[in-house]
Amino acid sequence: MIAALREAVVRGGLLTRIGLALFAACFFVYLFGPLVLMGITAFNSSAFPRVSPWECFSVEWFEVLRNDQTLVEGLRNSVFIGIGVVALAVPIGLAGALMLMQINQRVRPWYYTVVISPILVPGVVLGISTLVFWDRVGIMFNASHETFFYNGFFLTIVGQATFISAYSMLVFISRLQRFDPALEEAALDLGATHVQTFRKVLLPFLKPAIASAAVLAFLASFENYNTTVFTIVSESTLTTVLASKVRYGINPSISALAVIIVVVTLLGAAVFEVVKRREQKAARESEKVARGEVPARARRKPLLLDPAMFLILAVFVAGLGTVYFAGTVGVEECKAAVKEEKQRVAQERVRKLQQQRMFQRAAPVAGEGEGEGGSAPAAPQAQREDSSGFESIFAPQNLKEQVESGPPAAGTESFQGIFAPENLESQSGAGQ
Amino acid sequence: MSAEVTLENVWIRFGDFVAARAVDINIRQGEFFSFLGPSGCGKTTLLRAVSGFLSPSEGRVLIGGKDMAGIGPNKRPTALIFQNLALFPLMTVWENITFALEVRGVSAARRRKRADELLELIALPGQGEKMVDELSGGQRQRVAIARALAAEPGVLLLDEPLSALDLKLRQHMRTELRDIQQRVGITFIYITHDQGEALTMSDNVAVMREGVIEQVADGNTIYDRPATAFVASFVGENNLLRGTVSAVSRAAVTVDTGLGAIRARAADSGGKGSLAVGDDAYVFIRPESLKFDEEKKMDNNISAQIHQQEFEGSFWQVFFSIKGSERKLKLSMVNDGSAMSHQPGQRVTLGFAPELAVATPAGPLAAE
Amino acid sequence: MALVRHLQNFFRRNGAALSVFLLGAVGFWILFMIVLPQLFMVDFSFRVNLPPPKWGTPEHHYTLEHYRYMVYGSAGSESSFNVIDLQVFFKTIVAAIFVTIFDVALCYPIAYYLAQVAHGGWARLMVLSLIVPFWVNEILRAFAFRIIFGASGVLNKGLMALGIIDEPYDFIRENFALYAGLGYAFILLMIFPIYNAIESLDKNQIEAARDLGSPWWRIHWRVVIPFAKPGITSGCTMVFMLTAGALAAPQILGGPSSLWFTQIIYQAFNQAGNWSRGSAYAIILLASCIALVLLLMRAFKVRLGEIAR
Ligand SMILES: Nc1ncnc2c1ncn2[C@@H]1O[C@H](COP(=O)(O)OP(=O)(O)OP(=O)(O)O)[C@@H](O)[C@H]1O
Ligand SMILES: [Mg+2]
Repeated sequence: MIAALREAVVRGGLLTRIGLALFAACFFVYLFGPLVLMGITAFNSSAFPRVSPWECFSVEWFEVLRNDQTLVEGLRNSVFIGIGVVALAVPIGLAGALMLMQINQRVRPWYYTVVISPILVPGVVLGISTLVFWDRVGIMFNASHETFFYNGFFLTIVGQATFISAYSMLVFISRLQRFDPALEEAALDLGATHVQTFRKVLLPFLKPAIASAAVLAFLASFENYNTTVFTIVSESTLTTVLASKVRYGINPSISALAVIIVVVTLLGAAVFEVVKRREQKAARESEKVARGEVPARARRKPLLLDPAMFLILAVFVAGLGTVYFAGTVGVEECKAAVKEEKQRVAQERVRKLQQQRMFQRAAPVAGEGEGEGGSAPAAPQAQREDSSGFESIFAPQNLKEQVESGPPAAGTESFQGIFAPENLESQSGAGQ
Repeated sequence: MSAEVTLENVWIRFGDFVAARAVDINIRQGEFFSFLGPSGCGKTTLLRAVSGFLSPSEGRVLIGGKDMAGIGPNKRPTALIFQNLALFPLMTVWENITFALEVRGVSAARRRKRADELLELIALPGQGEKMVDELSGGQRQRVAIARALAAEPGVLLLDEPLSALDLKLRQHMRTELRDIQQRVGITFIYITHDQGEALTMSDNVAVMREGVIEQVADGNTIYDRPATAFVASFVGENNLLRGTVSAVSRAAVTVDTGLGAIRARAADSGGKGSLAVGDDAYVFIRPESLKFDEEKKMDNNISAQIHQQEFEGSFWQVFFSIKGSERKLKLSMVNDGSAMSHQPGQRVTLGFAPELAVATPAGPLAAE
Repeated sequence: MALVRHLQNFFRRNGAALSVFLLGAVGFWILFMIVLPQLFMVDFSFRVNLPPPKWGTPEHHYTLEHYRYMVYGSAGSESSFNVIDLQVFFKTIVAAIFVTIFDVALCYPIAYYLAQVAHGGWARLMVLSLIVPFWVNEILRAFAFRIIFGASGVLNKGLMALGIIDEPYDFIRENFALYAGLGYAFILLMIFPIYNAIESLDKNQIEAARDLGSPWWRIHWRVVIPFAKPGITSGCTMVFMLTAGALAAPQILGGPSSLWFTQIIYQAFNQAGNWSRGSAYAIILLASCIALVLLLMRAFKVRLGEIAR
């Protein structure tokens, strides 16, 4: 009886486990699927970001990305603003955390609520309030429009720092909770002034937290959109440029940007992991030294000579090389072949259409202007997705959608706007 | 540079809670002075008042005759060794040791030199480059001492510095501490709740209970002539008999206990409420002062029944039940090779000399 | 008086330089970045809409018109409601609630799996890989969904290849892409609070419950969920607030005919040039979100202090 029960319990546990694992698998597909697909589109030479039909493996979109002046300028501005936010939000976050440790017990919950609130307030609201506030302050001071009150950089830095300071404060709080206040007292007791105590004891302890707060602040600033879009005024940042690009037409160079970001992130994560492992190892070692099991080692190996580090770098460089090679060599030939194939398909279709038309002309009833939609059967519909260049050829009513979903591909420009059936013949002739 | 420390009527309150109550103490310069008391009695609090981390609610702290009111911890000639040492984990051993010099702007070369001297003193030569977490517990202890000494304080304050160490290391460090104190000659104020530590190392010991100083005296006096019931019960082992005072003479009092009248030395209560006829009193007798006395040769005799005997190598411990008390009496005698001739359950007569028994006014006792 | 004493204490404890830095930085933050801007925005939302040169002049007087507009529309149509804005507003709130619920349902099992079932290097790897997608910026993430859900996107291709549909389905117009993207956008902010909460739950408690023969759902209902409640609440609060306040995803993934409330605010600022109305709408959004969160917190008996830790 009990054995049976136990077995049922164990089996139940196993089933739950399998169920959970499956669920987790689905979850990770949801998590990574979009990014992976987007990454793939970055290497497809097709002018519209898509996975299929696959045309040619190419790195040309990275080239396009590099030459995109608005993006590059947005990137520059984003970096500048990011640095500004770090310079503002990290000290504020630090001060906020130190204050929290000292503030009167009764005031503390209020204080905490106020300083943490920017995290919960929608970014849109923060952007608006920053904009309105400094604008009116500017008016109060009768400042001209060239002053910082109206400067997109200033406003964006201040607006973003409002909530990013709270992030960095949280980083400092979690570090400070592990600080032994006796260390501070020990320093004072040994004659250090308050400033010396802060500089020589607390600050070194907080150093890792300062680094992580800075990284966090920079990234949060770098990818912020909701606040920035209000405060940036007439300037641009990477996110605002991206947003307008994505809204008004897309091409795979944006996917290429995503690939770069993901690769940098993975690289960062791997390096982080290696550094962490090293630190753990060092801690274990010093424990052994303390127990007198091994003699103290004079110096640790530099990070770059670490085998794991070396491996990461090697994989990265090799991968980069392979991709670059595969994406540049033979791409032109491949593209030419694809183009030829497309034209062949197009011609095929044109021929069919002509045959049909001839057939229709022979028949007594034929509507000239709108005949193609109804009379050319499933073929155009099914073909529609193959090439954006053809999307609008046969069905005028599709034009709107095409504009919506992206700019016409450069390579097939000559096919644009050709929906008058009578043009078909000459056009395809020109294409040949 | 050694300094004298005086606490004058010091009160320390945390809200309604009183952590120190009318503390009056004078610690001579160059003295090794210990605070002894159960956990939570206010030892650390007093030490923090001396080092300047908190200011007394009332009363004065004087160091070297100077009132310390309004002078921060970094301006006082004291150095504190924390209960958990508080070594700086991100600095090397030598940087830790010379921190006090660093903040005074002493050049790195001179600091190095001083660090080497101090490392020599604490018997850790050549270990200056290690990180603190590469040291063993005892070594860390010594580094903390060196770090405090480097500040050249007039008074060194030590808050249970040995509590984290194992027994053997602790005994070793005791002698070492005492050695260092004698070598550098500065005032040590030492906190412990280990009596052995306090009694062996100190010139004077203050016994504390709930914020009150019960007695200040040297180790022998504390042990042999406890001033209060608390000190008698807290320091060492003691047998307790309860009773009422029936007669008072110049040097001795007679206390009526359930086991008959017992003569004992009156505790020296320092003028505060000495015993009078009719008072409730406690009589304390050390286990080693209690003897078998079948012939009733001694002035005080009590009859008891043997409950249990324990052999502890060089000692015999014998426990007795007595009439009218739950507590067992304890007798300890040196094992001189002669076999123990008594059996459990046997009725015996015990005796002790009046000079070796102390009568105190009834009062709070230390927790068992 | 007490304040002066506190200040004196503060200065004594930190020394002059540090005290000035602390007070200055925190003061600037609270005053000029948090409190005053919000107050100014509130003030602004109650004023008539005028071009900037006239701000602060007597003409720039107080009015309730922007709030009234939200409910009744322009003055001409005094009698009827402002159906468009109200509809968008309620749709935004309701959709944000559903996205939040979707995220809890999605993230709770994962957080549980990470915290209690997976262990060692595998768990570490999973946690790390959870973070990676969120380094990629919000707009690119939305873009990825556009690639998937677009007319010639992977999903349509796949479904057509499988023969399930025979012409592309407009996922964007039907807001599928939007909800999938919004659900995706703040997953991390849901997982980590729950994960942190569940991780500190003693495994023995679960095992004890299991030994007593509780079925798995009861273990969760009675043991794990109550324990993780603060984490769940803080995750929900953040996801709800951020979803309701999202702008990038609706702009990129929203269908051509449907709006998110933040888009209306955006239009008021950037297209209509009506900052006052934009402010009023922003306040309406903020206030309703906060009210809703507080209401739900009261309903689920969670205190504010437990959140945002
Ligand atoms: N900052 C404070 N606020 C309130 N009460 C305090 C504070 N510091 C100490 N106390 C109380 O004062 C009493 C004495 O504490 P103290 O630390 O001096 O004890 P102690 O004798 O050093 O004990 P131990 O041997 O355990 O270290 C304790 O009851 C403690 O709770
Ligand atoms: Mg203590």
